[in-house]
Amino acid sequence: MDTNLIFHIAAFGLILIGSAGIVLSTHLVRIIFGIALLEAGANLLLLLATYREGSSAPVIVDGHIPVIMADPVPQALVLTAIVIGVGILALALSLALRVQRAYGTLDLREVRQRLEQDIADEAGIELPSSIDAPQAVVKRQEGHA
Amino acid sequence: MNKLALLVALPLITAFLLPLINRASAFAGRWTGPLILVVTSALGISLWTQLGDNAVAVELGGFRPPLGITLYADQMAILFAVAVSLGTLLLWPNGGEDRVRQWTLALILAASGSGLALSGDLFNIYVFYELVAVVSYGLIAARASAGSYAATLRYLVVSSFGAAMALTGIALVYQATGTLNLAQLAQLAPTQLNNLQGLAAFVLMLIGFGVKAELFPVNTWVPEVYATAPTRVSGLLAGVVSKLALLIIVRLLVLVFHQPEALTVMLVLGIMGVITGELAAWRARDFKRMIAFSSIGQLGIMFIAFAIPGKAGIFAGLAVALHHLVVKPALFLLAERWNGSLSSLAGAGRTSPLAAALFILLALSLIGVPPLPGFWAKLLVLVELSEQAQPLYYLGAFVILAGAALEANYLFRVASRFYDKDKDQKAPAAQRMPDLATASLLCAVLAGSIFVLTPLAAQIEGIATQAADATHYIQTVNPETLP
Amino acid sequence: MRRISSALFLLGLGLLIAMIFQTMEFGSVAPLVGQAINATAAEQVGAANFVTSVVLGYRGFDTLLELTILFTAATAGGLVLGKPRAGAARDPDSGFILRAGADLFFPLLLVVGLYIILHGHLTPGGGFQGGVILAAAFFIPILARPGTSMDHRLVSIIEGLAGAGFILIGLLAMLGGGDFLTPLLDKGELGALLSAGSLPLLYIAVGLKVGSELAGLLAHLSETEASD
Repeated sequence: MDTNLIFHIAAFGLILIGSAGIVLSTHLVRIIFGIALLEAGANLLLLLATYREGSSAPVIVDGHIPVIMADPVPQALVLTAIVIGVGILALALSLALRVQRAYGTLDLREVRQRLEQDIADEAGIELPSSIDAPQAVVKRQEGHA
Repeated sequence: MNKLALLVALPLITAFLLPLINRASAFAGRWTGPLILVVTSALGISLWTQLGDNAVAVELGGFRPPLGITLYADQMAILFAVAVSLGTLLLWPNGGEDRVRQWTLALILAASGSGLALSGDLFNIYVFYELVAVVSYGLIAARASAGSYAATLRYLVVSSFGAAMALTGIALVYQATGTLNLAQLAQLAPTQLNNLQGLAAFVLMLIGFGVKAELFPVNTWVPEVYATAPTRVSGLLAGVVSKLALLIIVRLLVLVFHQPEALTVMLVLGIMGVITGELAAWRARDFKRMIAFSSIGQLGIMFIAFAIPGKAGIFAGLAVALHHLVVKPALFLLAERWNGSLSSLAGAGRTSPLAAALFILLALSLIGVPPLPGFWAKLLVLVELSEQAQPLYYLGAFVILAGAALEANYLFRVASRFYDKDKDQKAPAAQRMPDLATASLLCAVLAGSIFVLTPLAAQIEGIATQAADATHYIQTVNPETLP
Repeated sequence: MRRISSALFLLGLGLLIAMIFQTMEFGSVAPLVGQAINATAAEQVGAANFVTSVVLGYRGFDTLLELTILFTAATAGGLVLGKPRAGAARDPDSGFILRAGADLFFPLLLVVGLYIILHGHLTPGGGFQGGVILAAAFFIPILARPGTSMDHRLVSIIEGLAGAGFILIGLLAMLGGGDFLTPLLDKGELGALLSAGSLPLLYIAVGLKVGSELAGLLAHLSETEASD
């Protein structure tokens, strides 16, 4: 098969898998992994934008200029995008660490429930029970009442 | 005119050096930030007056576009750059732990906001957008409560997803045209982006940049973040940053994506935003989340306005945007002390009468009661909507009117609560002086603009005409034609 | 409810991607800007590595912002993680092999990292790549001996000064009436170590900043006590 086609399938596939990971996962760390996959797929797509088969690196070594040079612009762009991704990932993990310390769990549903509880407590209103509430937390509330 | 780059470079270098300055002298560390912002704002205003009616392009690094990055300064861009600097100055962080880091982040916010407004290169806009995002994560989490960490993480997930979508869109555009310079894209768009790939790229970028602009459906982060962030940060995000994100989308629409389907997508999402935002605000039971949902509704109105083709849409949208820019931070400043449930606001009219009066003024302007500027902005949108041919625009007009009715209901529910006598509840504490002063300043601006409405309207119309002119943009930047 | 909306959303995304896939013409490249840069970069910027000429020359502004994003992430991370508690429990030291290996790696990684930074304008590499290796050089000993802490004051001094240095070089270009971030100094001979004007200086600033920042952020993360 044409290599260009394979690369594009890979890029879009990574984007889909990453998005699925973010949307469907319930564990915070898996969601962060999904973000990393998604960004990898988007970076690959950016590199593929002006991909030409048989081109060599746009570097002049020993005065020898390659015949077909690859496009240097997407390489610079992806360099920037990767660094941005690293920064955001580090920050996300720091936040996950603090959330785990504060709530004792990294399960998304429980975290959302506790978040709603905290906001409601701060505002001094009661929390309406929602169909999305995980069973464990609902039972605890019933225990208090 | 190459001083334009200073609007970004000056706050940035101060941010890098602030931890060191603070180590040397705590006094210098405290006042350097606001001082630099004053200088930057003054620089921006002087550039505005220098500019007059012409736009100017600055070639960074001395490289001709489209090889290098250009900064494009028309009146709209400089207006928002100055708004960011002034807004950060007015809503300077003043609470929470680790003040030095918060001040550093605030300075970077000012720098990146200005850059976002001024940039003329698609990928550069993306990087500035990500920078604004990371700064906002830090500022929201500065509250150091468990809720703020969780809300920031959820916001991070949605925002990163959007950013990756935007990057995919940029990859599609680069694949089709081979360039990232907005002016050259404007030249190439009619032939190379007027197809399905172009529309797909626009939709991806709309989702991406729309996260900050509180676009439906990527605005699930809004209530949690605005409820748990420090109120000044919420004011900055809702008031200033969301407009910047909207500004980028408008630039893309004017210059690159001319398909009518693009406008239809914006119109539909805007209508959904107004419906969901206003209904949620009507049902909200605490003050902060009520104004958070209300801002989703107002941004939906702006999306509907910008979906009107031509200069008319930009004029109407700009009017609503500038009005909201002044009103929303003021509301959040008032929320500093009133952050409880709505029922606990009983008696607030007596403990802080000035704040209650300010709230009523802001509410009237939001709903759209003459002679306040909010009325004029909404009227402009409705008039322009009624002049369109497509029936979807009439639906938009109806939704805006219905939204105004809902706004009147829930805002006056709160206002009437101020003067209730409730024996069981203590009245909330009086507003703090700095918050009250800034809120009064913003309301004074709002009220003062009633008297200069006609020249102000003409000025805004001029800005909109200039912004809607793609040919003028291309001529100013003047990219080289490449073989 | 959530599952249904998530599945619907993914379906929509999949359809969008399928649509893009069908209409996209890959293989028909139009590298407009890329080709022009390849043709003129040698004489305009003078770096043998054209990617460096893009990163530091044509798109130097993007690189400055990239540095800022790392700085912001490190600052925000420091804000979120807070100060490590003095008597906090730490993991025990690793075994002998890891400790000895880490000590052996430190000078090697330093040399490799500095080499990549200094030759960024001649061969593939540069400030970011070399900076990450430098960060690893300083962080691996901490991984091997979790009890040691990094001097965060030194880290913040280096990263502040390096970042300010980058912007200062950019501002210096404005003194003569030029534009921000115009490459300065003589371009020299293509392929020599001292060529491409101020670009190697910019890369040194980048490398130092990235190295110190990442090392600081990683150290901060490892110093945060794990909850049991």
